[in-house]
Amino acid sequence: MKRILLLLSLFVIAVTSVKAATPTAVADTGKVGTGADPKDPPLILSGSVDTYWKYDFSGHSNIPTSFATDQNSVSIGMIDLGLKKKVGKASFVGELAFGPRGQYQSIPNGDGSTGNGANSFHIQNLYVSYDVTDKLNFTAGYMATFIGYEVISPTGNFNYSTSYLFTSGPFQNAGFKATYAFSDKVSLMAGIFNDNWNVYTSQHDVSTFGAQLMVAPVKGWTAYLNVASGPTSGTILDLTTAYQITDAFKLGLNGATYTPAHGGGGYDGVALYPQLAVSKTVTFGLRGEYFETKAIGTTVPSANVKALTATANIKAGAITLIPEVRFDNAKNQIFTNSDGVPTKSANQFLIAAVYAF
Amino acid sequence: MKKILLIIVSLAISGMVNAQKSLLSVDENNKYIYYQVVDMPGIKADSLHKNAGLFMMDMYPKVTLQMTRSGISVKDKFLTYTSLIKHENGEMAYTLNVECKDGKYRFWVTNFVFTPYEKDRYGMFVPVNGKDISLEKASDKLQKKDVEGYFEQTGAFCKQLGDKLKKYMIEGKPKQPKEDKPVKKIVTEKW
Repeated sequence: MKRILLLLSLFVIAVTSVKAATPTAVADTGKVGTGADPKDPPLILSGSVDTYWKYDFSGHSNIPTSFATDQNSVSIGMIDLGLKKKVGKASFVGELAFGPRGQYQSIPNGDGSTGNGANSFHIQNLYVSYDVTDKLNFTAGYMATFIGYEVISPTGNFNYSTSYLFTSGPFQNAGFKATYAFSDKVSLMAGIFNDNWNVYTSQHDVSTFGAQLMVAPVKGWTAYLNVASGPTSGTILDLTTAYQITDAFKLGLNGATYTPAHGGGGYDGVALYPQLAVSKTVTFGLRGEYFETKAIGTTVPSANVKALTATANIKAGAITLIPEVRFDNAKNQIFTNSDGVPTKSANQFLIAAVYAF
Repeated sequence: MKKILLIIVSLAISGMVNAQKSLLSVDENNKYIYYQVVDMPGIKADSLHKNAGLFMMDMYPKVTLQMTRSGISVKDKFLTYTSLIKHENGEMAYTLNVECKDGKYRFWVTNFVFTPYEKDRYGMFVPVNGKDISLEKASDKLQKKDVEGYFEQTGAFCKQLGDKLKKYMIEGKPKQPKEDKPVKKIVTEKW
């Protein structure tokens, strides 16, 4: 036994000595820096999984958040698998998602054709891209929308539940876009997209015009002014901005106004996102939102809701634990209490775990 | 006996973890630095300076070089990667300085500043805006395992850079292999 242990020790020492003396090879994709041989980056895989438990204090689901919908249940979000590859100036991204969050809660089932309505394609992002020059890029395919502050992937949001602005706005826009970077501080995207939001196939044509102006006035502050407008999809104007004011404090803002192409209605809204890092593993954040639906003629009056969400992000390696409490208060009785009686307010608590890889 | 063997194994493993970090030293301003003085017996300073210039122009074609009386410096970045499934998780900015004298040259890499990456809505990894962390403060602001990875990759990058610089200093600009090598013809009629 002692001999075996001794041999094992010598083996471990030999292996570790060799490994320690040989520095890890550093790959370089050529995307950043020029101080190593430019090589085509390998096929890169990344993704996340998320799960949650939610309890609405009425005893049933009330708040119409896009994800974290299940009441008093340990439920799954999605497994998200992203692939990307760049060879020279050409690249692609393919992102697949499985689970409620990654299927019917965020993408269409099928392509709209009869008999295909029950099939999920699982596609969150599927596009090809080409760098015409260092400053000009062309991209085409099915892409996450350029509108709004929050995103579908749980790794891209601080809060786990979603805002009314997110739920009401576009999730994806399929089309073609050109992006020109004037400098690190200013870029402009313009594109033409399918007639409807969130579809793999256009209903009639490719008629939604979209544009995004990005400005970064000072270090840490980025603002995006977005517009998407079309005869079928209507018109949405959106401002999304975030400012890392100090090492610990970040402030985000999202404001949008939407007018449908036909029939009146639409919405306005604004959300503020202050976040404070209290240690290298714990960050606290708030989301305060005001959301108003516009009146439809004289038949449907305007309504509004205010929502306050307090969230913590606690990092433990690749896992982020997200405890969250949320209070919604509406102008009208749009929620129901524990007896099923209409009420103006709803409150919920949830805890989620997100693993990113 | 078992305890002693366990201690030996533990020491060996911790030695491996710290090996890459130990490639970096700390300078008089308490900044991390990768510093080497390389003897080049019989080679004049002018020649070494010229080779250093060739290295810089080849390696940093799109970056502005800072020429000083005693040497050349350049600021650039390299990508860092996650360990398990490799994808970008940040970029490390650095400054490389090269100085030459008759028979020797020195170079040092310092001013390391790390910017973490996050995955954006399009599935791409992009810098987190406004989060620049000097390597000296990384252990206060980032998780221990991540910091170890950044030290390891920084040490490895600096060593690679130093090896490439040495090749230029000895040979000048390395000759490119001939691309159009004649293909050997085989006559199949007679066999």
